[in-house]
Amino acid sequence: MKKILVYLVVFALISTFAVGCSSGGGGGAEKESKPEVVKIGVLFPFSGSMAALGEENFRGAEIARLVRNKQGGLWGKQIEFVKADAPDATAAVAEADRLINKEGMKVIIGSYSSSLSYAASEVAERNGVIYWEVGGISDPITSRGYKYLFRTVPTGSSFGIQAVKFAKAIAPDIGVKPEEMKIAIVHEDSMYGTTVGENAKAEAERQGLDLVEMVAYSAKTNDLSSVILKLKAANPDVLIATSYITDTILFWRQARELNFYVKAAIGTGAGYAMRDFAEAVGDDVNRIFNVDFPQLDTNPEFAKGIDEFKKLYEETFGEPPKSGHSLVAYAGALILWDVMEKAGSMDPEAIRKAALEVDIPDGETAVGFGCKFAGPDAENAGQNIKAYPLVAQWKNQKLVTVWPEEAAAGEIELPMKPWE
Amino acid sequence: MIEFFQVLVSGIMLGGIYSLISIGLTLIFGIMRILNFAHGEYLMIAMYLSFWLFKLLNIDPYVSIIIVVPALFLLGIISQKLVIKPIINAPPTMQIFATVGLSLVFQNLALFLWKADYRTVKTSYQTATIHLGPMLVSFPRMVAFLIAIIVSLGFFYFLKNTYTGKALRSIAQNREAAMLMGIDVSKMYMIAFALGTACVGVAGALLMPVYYVFPTVGTYFGVTAFVVVVLGGMGNMTGAFLGGLLIGVIESISGVYIDPSLKEAVYFIIFILVLLFKPSGLFGLRGAEEVGLK
Repeated sequence: MKKILVYLVVFALISTFAVGCSSGGGGGAEKESKPEVVKIGVLFPFSGSMAALGEENFRGAEIARLVRNKQGGLWGKQIEFVKADAPDATAAVAEADRLINKEGMKVIIGSYSSSLSYAASEVAERNGVIYWEVGGISDPITSRGYKYLFRTVPTGSSFGIQAVKFAKAIAPDIGVKPEEMKIAIVHEDSMYGTTVGENAKAEAERQGLDLVEMVAYSAKTNDLSSVILKLKAANPDVLIATSYITDTILFWRQARELNFYVKAAIGTGAGYAMRDFAEAVGDDVNRIFNVDFPQLDTNPEFAKGIDEFKKLYEETFGEPPKSGHSLVAYAGALILWDVMEKAGSMDPEAIRKAALEVDIPDGETAVGFGCKFAGPDAENAGQNIKAYPLVAQWKNQKLVTVWPEEAAAGEIELPMKPWE
Repeated sequence: MIEFFQVLVSGIMLGGIYSLISIGLTLIFGIMRILNFAHGEYLMIAMYLSFWLFKLLNIDPYVSIIIVVPALFLLGIISQKLVIKPIINAPPTMQIFATVGLSLVFQNLALFLWKADYRTVKTSYQTATIHLGPMLVSFPRMVAFLIAIIVSLGFFYFLKNTYTGKALRSIAQNREAAMLMGIDVSKMYMIAFALGTACVGVAGALLMPVYYVFPTVGTYFGVTAFVVVVLGGMGNMTGAFLGGLLIGVIESISGVYIDPSLKEAVYFIIFILVLLFKPSGLFGLRGAEEVGLK
């Protein structure tokens, strides 16, 4: 028995080495015989607790790559991704370093999670490498005056602000006056949740709404009854919530258990956008709102090319897209290809210049909103100032875009149904 | 006041689940003197097993206990034979490396086999609530709590009154003497480890209706289980049971009355205080951290 084990271990070790060497060698040989490949680093959480959405975000970039390659690639060369797995911020720094200094990447696409993006983009900036953010929404990422960092997606603050604006807009639907509307904010306490929560709070104060409770908690928790009991005591009309997927499921299951009712619940992305959420809580998901990246049903008149994207996703991965995360990464990566094409080389300086010249009007991309990056002297340097989130509502366990009107695919339904 | 009792009840229900997971961990430590860092991963495997039985064969998570528990018992035997047995006399650091390694293997195997999706089961009773006067108790949490009590009582009876139980306890007290008395130590180790994993088998099946499973779910509960075990006195079963309830209540109360984002901090501070002032744990006898199961 022991002998067999030893053999197994030895075999495993040898095969690992063999694979390692052959892939290393193969890479070298490829470089010599096929120089027409454009290599771009992709850094996402492919393992760990953020892997589900990280993978979804990556898939969008992957489809953008396939589309571009079919059209002839960049400067007549095929695009190839060099993948890096970053389950946490420490790994993100190490992997960004590896992509840049070992793999020689000049452009990195990332990274779904704001914390990862914040850490990895610092490494890229230091090395003068383009960091193209297609997922992370936290504001501080683009508030550091970085020259090589560009973000195609809306910021976290715009999620919080949009949620409050929307809350005010639906006041008549739930039968309260906007100035009497009681709002509660609940958010997980990482950078993402805190940014959204704080901005929602600031916007609520600007709009003169009555903020009755604000609760933060760690998304790693396995019990949210204390959060819910706190909210229940505050008895709000509208709840604005920011959470990842695990805590979203937990929150709504325990909300039902503890009989916590609000007239309208507005989530702000991440967990609220996921099919896993609907699968976990079933019909309880209906009528919950989600302020988020443009969803897959956004009016195709407004989001041009969205139908092609959905088709390609299904063909490539054998299942429909899980959330808008893939869509925004797709649209973001497509912009990068255009920028690089125009830059004419892998030189980060040239790419940077070309990026700053981009000016795409609304209604020309697969996500609807256009693209124009804030210059390096702006306080949100590198941010796409034309990006904004939309509001969708869960209906029959599917997200339907409902607000603003030009993007809407359905009507707003209110108020929430009480628990039976 | 009602609110306070509601918080208390929620805490106790949560604690019941912690207790159930911690009992297995403390059993393994008490008898084998092995810190099993892969304990959370056995929970993850149990949850996946329960999930797939539900998904593929439509077996209710509670019914799945009769399949999951033997399966985890078997997995415990296999792990013990392949990984734990060769290192049973190795220095503690090496044992820790081995079990941490085992946990990484399980996590990544799960990620590879079942992807990072959050899997949940949908049952008719999962969000059902029981009204205890003005207080609300979740039905599946109540079930988990009651079964935690039954399992703990069963374990006490087993350890006190059966030959195997007595043999296990004798090993915990003095490995050499037990060996001299003709107890098959390596077989007992196997039983202890397998019982420990079978215990999370129960916990996994009970958790499935309340929670969701994903490859790293074990770490969420694993860390808490370690806190509970140290708090209750390492190797002390009663301690693990009461420690679990205590942590649940602390978490719940500090979440409502201090701040939800600080509740982990609160129980880790208590954990550190216990380590500083009563390293044998709240319910352990002085020196129990050296001797083990009482």
